[in-house]
Amino acid sequence: MPVKYTLLTLAALAAVGAAHADTGWRYYGGDQGGRHYSTAALIDRENVAELDIAWLHRSGDVAHYGDDMTNTSTQATPILLPAAAGESLVYCTPFNRVIALDPGNGEQRWDFDPGIDRRGDRTFRCRGVSYAEEARTAKGAHCRHRLFLATHDRKLWAIDAGDGKVCDSFGRGGMVELYGGEGYIPGDISTSSAPTVANGLVVVGSGVIDFARATTPRGTVMAFDTYSGKPVWQFDPLQGHPKSGSANVWAPMSVDEQNGLIFLPTSAPSPDYYGVDRPGDDLYANSIVALDLDTGAVRWHFQHVRHDLWDYDTPAQPILFLWEKGGQSIPALAQVTKQSFVFVLNRLTGESLWEITEHPAPPSDIPGERTALTQPKPIAPPPLVDSFLMPANAWGLTPWDKAQCRKQIAALNNLGLFTPISEQLSLMYPGSLGGANWGGGALVADSGLLLVNINNTAFTGQLIPTGTGSATAGRTDHPESGKRMQVTMEGTPYNVEIGALTSPLGIPCNAPPWGKLVAVDLYKGTVEWETALGSVHEMGPVSAPFHIDWGTPNLGGGIATAGGLFFIGATMDRQIRAFDVDSGETLWKYTLANDATATPMTYVYKGRQYVVINAGGHYMFQRGFGDYLYAFALPE
Amino acid sequence: MHSRYLLAILCMVSALGHATTLRITNDDGKPLSRVMVTQTLVNKVVVDLSDEGYAPEGVLTPADTTVTRFTNAAGIVRFEEPDSPVQYRVRSQGYVDQYIDDTGSAGDEEKETVDVTMTPMTAEQYIASYPSNVWLSQLKLGGDEDLKNSFELNCSFCHQQASPFMRNERTVDQWLAVFERMNSYGARLPNDEHQQLAALLQKEYRELRENPEVVPLPRPWENHLSGIEMKEWIIGDGFSQMHDFLIHPNGFVYVGDNLFDRVYEINPETGHYTVYKVPHTDEQQPGGILGNRFVTFPKMHNYLGVHSFAVSPKDGNIFITPSMQQALLEFNPKTKKFTTYEMPSGFYPHTIRVDSRDRVWFTLALSSQVAMFDRTTEEFTVIDLPARSVTEWLILKSLPLIFSFDPENRPQPSPSRESIGLPMPYGIDVAPDGGIWVARLYANDLAHIDPDTFEVTMVDFPYEGPRRLRVDADGMVWIVAFQDSLLVKYNPNDDAFTAYELPVINEIPYALNIDKQRGVVWVNGNQSDTILSFDIASEAWKVYPMPRQRFFTRDIEISEEDGAIYTTNSHFPTWQTEGGVPSLLRITPLPERASQD
Repeated sequence: MPVKYTLLTLAALAAVGAAHADTGWRYYGGDQGGRHYSTAALIDRENVAELDIAWLHRSGDVAHYGDDMTNTSTQATPILLPAAAGESLVYCTPFNRVIALDPGNGEQRWDFDPGIDRRGDRTFRCRGVSYAEEARTAKGAHCRHRLFLATHDRKLWAIDAGDGKVCDSFGRGGMVELYGGEGYIPGDISTSSAPTVANGLVVVGSGVIDFARATTPRGTVMAFDTYSGKPVWQFDPLQGHPKSGSANVWAPMSVDEQNGLIFLPTSAPSPDYYGVDRPGDDLYANSIVALDLDTGAVRWHFQHVRHDLWDYDTPAQPILFLWEKGGQSIPALAQVTKQSFVFVLNRLTGESLWEITEHPAPPSDIPGERTALTQPKPIAPPPLVDSFLMPANAWGLTPWDKAQCRKQIAALNNLGLFTPISEQLSLMYPGSLGGANWGGGALVADSGLLLVNINNTAFTGQLIPTGTGSATAGRTDHPESGKRMQVTMEGTPYNVEIGALTSPLGIPCNAPPWGKLVAVDLYKGTVEWETALGSVHEMGPVSAPFHIDWGTPNLGGGIATAGGLFFIGATMDRQIRAFDVDSGETLWKYTLANDATATPMTYVYKGRQYVVINAGGHYMFQRGFGDYLYAFALPE
Repeated sequence: MHSRYLLAILCMVSALGHATTLRITNDDGKPLSRVMVTQTLVNKVVVDLSDEGYAPEGVLTPADTTVTRFTNAAGIVRFEEPDSPVQYRVRSQGYVDQYIDDTGSAGDEEKETVDVTMTPMTAEQYIASYPSNVWLSQLKLGGDEDLKNSFELNCSFCHQQASPFMRNERTVDQWLAVFERMNSYGARLPNDEHQQLAALLQKEYRELRENPEVVPLPRPWENHLSGIEMKEWIIGDGFSQMHDFLIHPNGFVYVGDNLFDRVYEINPETGHYTVYKVPHTDEQQPGGILGNRFVTFPKMHNYLGVHSFAVSPKDGNIFITPSMQQALLEFNPKTKKFTTYEMPSGFYPHTIRVDSRDRVWFTLALSSQVAMFDRTTEEFTVIDLPARSVTEWLILKSLPLIFSFDPENRPQPSPSRESIGLPMPYGIDVAPDGGIWVARLYANDLAHIDPDTFEVTMVDFPYEGPRRLRVDADGMVWIVAFQDSLLVKYNPNDDAFTAYELPVINEIPYALNIDKQRGVVWVNGNQSDTILSFDIASEAWKVYPMPRQRFFTRDIEISEEDGAIYTTNSHFPTWQTEGGVPSLLRITPLPERASQD
């Protein structure tokens, strides 16, 4: 072999070795900073069209849980354990079963079923599990390598990464109860995101029913010792306000271990749409809060919505990266929001790295409701949804339904973004679905390019004085597709009714795309490209035989790879797609058994790159349920 | 001594007994002069807003009020302290705003001086605080001066151009959507400029954000400011547009809300106001005969469009131009009744004045005419101003035909730079000799109308954008050149123009007025958050920073008695202004002693 070929071969081998070292997926968000990025490049723009199913795994939930599946949302992103921990691919099902698979063929190695309490009406979901190597346990001993699982019924479990058995050193029998002396109250509070593990701590947030009544459980974030399960610190994101609650952290948190910070994306205070009993800005709700990782002390906060009346939770994991400007590298944090802004902050200080414009906000006509006079808006990047919707902007498939939409919009209480909900039907655009949601964004290497999937469907809502509304007021947190929901707000004078703004044909009254993928240059503060995300061909009374790329509502996120690709499901068309990160061109798509409302992940295992995604459907979409985990790879 | 003077002195003494002093210093303890301190009541007034979010008609309503003063060379500023708690916002160029709550210290000598230490802004904060004009000055639009002129002419008569709301990053498509929306509101940005302008605005605003060091510093605030007080009365809401107004001999100030057909009657002594709604008929539609241009505006109720105000020297009745009707309005401030006079011809009644013979003169902006309403006969005389070409003449003569179509079916010529159009007679004033002077905005000329023969004489205006004009006590005509950022004097005696550079860069002056008693020309600012005064004798400028950012003014009235001036914050949309609400603002010279304290 000529020398030059030998050198090339050695270089290639070295590259593979390096890639192998860096091409796992050890954290829910790809890394501790939620970048959703992999250096894996074996699948690239040139060969992605050849991508096909490598293996398919079914969890068995459909067979086991039957009708309960209709109240599920399959959202898990698997993680790949390091070789020392057994190199299994591990994920959780909506019922918090943890399953370990062979990453090469999808064969099950073990599973762990915590046997959750399934009472209550909250939707079952589990976004992931977390891994840590516990240095206080001897090498080779059971539970040296641990997985942490926070369950629907508010328990935190530590199990061994090798066999799925509980870790006895942790809590009682491997479990810590996350509720207090009041016991577990089904339906009020649950956990959906993977715990955050760093520096010997496992930190857990919660999902709280924040519509149903004024005084809901506090959204306390708790940190426990990873070895013993003993509580170390806790933090209540809502300061004061005894007649309120929540401001919980349901989205994944991020960690900057080097600087000893954990970043909490906090949600709205309760109840979402009525703030009379929680006057003021409601700190630290609707914020990114940086806590000292060791003590839980507040280091800084950035509140992106003051006195929330729109359910504009901080919906996604803060993305940690280095912000490059003028030759400077600043440790930064990007936060996508439901109101469709992207805030870029100095993650050491919380200061915005883009000028903040105080956006004046209209007052409320609800007695006693004092809205914030202004809301913060970054001068760049631009809003990812143009929330301006007037009768002249009405859209329709036919002149008739366009006219109907025009009438509907004309009748709305509509003062633009941050219009407070009132007794008159009010525009909510973006609605509580976003804008961005829990899928977050994916950062392409060190380019500063953030790819984020966006919902673009206007909602309407109104407050209905109690005693005058429908008797069917319930406790769901978002309207199901094609339906309007009415929810009680016990302790207030109102129920709230919310739904999508649609024509009598059920078609959104705002122009498509109704879901889109946007590429944002965080360094320049610009939108580089955007494209419709999703086809509506399955959303009519009958399916069309071809794709109609007007975009669909979407839940779940995407990931970027060094192969120049962005993989995402999320849409209401059962597709997983691969986009070119530079152009937004769709390079590959595949039809799944169900909608994949989960974020995919990728890894290289034994020299082959896999792209894995859960496809189990989402109760909000009401488009069928399943228990599929797909792995795609290039032909061997 | 007359009893009322005694009472006034007693009131002053009493007020001084409840004064709060603020002493402002920097980090080093050095006193800071020229610091703007705004006093606001902590507890906002609670008012009935049951009429579309506004005070009901005819109901006496209190307005939220702020008082702004500036520190002297010793860093001291004093305020009278009202009975209820107040907050002070302390603002100085280059320093972070401070908010000081004063829960009441009357009677406690030790606490009556509040020390405030200002913290310097970071470089980024300081740059972000710059007003629009300095950013705009560096917007070169590819070096195409004609394009920038066109952009400023068509885009700057409603709002600030380089405020954070506008230099906000937008995609090209987002800019194009903005242009389309703005043209639907009445801007005439030429269609063939949209794509080029969208790309340039995106590119150059981004470059400015990335290289803010090229943006010049705003003009420093000046020492004379410690000699004035600013008082603001908040009226309307973020969707109102407080356009022109009038100081009436009865002591009230009448302000027109152009988007809601309301007239606010404000008592500056008490801070209370009463709203009067201009009536419309069942046949009249939103937008009047012009058609509803605000179909994409969130909240609006204008059938007439309350535009410009003038008062009769004879009986004090107020004449108002309803720009969206072929009519003239008269408001009797005693009976609070409106009378509408239908006009036989002419379109877009605009700026209005009343001469010493109680004749009402106003420009007809669209049809390039001037109307004179004779109160004794209640008849209109409509005077044609000359067309500049046969084509223009044909267009002007075809306007009645065009307006005979329903607004929805009316032919709408696409705007282009050449056909922006019509000459648009805009400002008007009455000279001391009774002659009428008119400025035609798009034609760059002036018209003189003989008040007896109605003979029209045209004068070429050698600058861009003669908007509003005023005539001083000596018969000199003062005009603002909108795009050229100039104050211009025209001497009719020798046909000479003299141009004066404004003291702030890239201001786009909308209007002006003259304090005839003191020989001072006041010029509206709209991009620089300032109002400017020009002493005619010394040709010296003074600059007055506005108490809130994004303060767009388009009219000035002068209280000749005390030299106070009034203006309104008329930014459109109002919600973009700091605080999000419109206001009437008065700037009053302080008594000598107070200013030196």
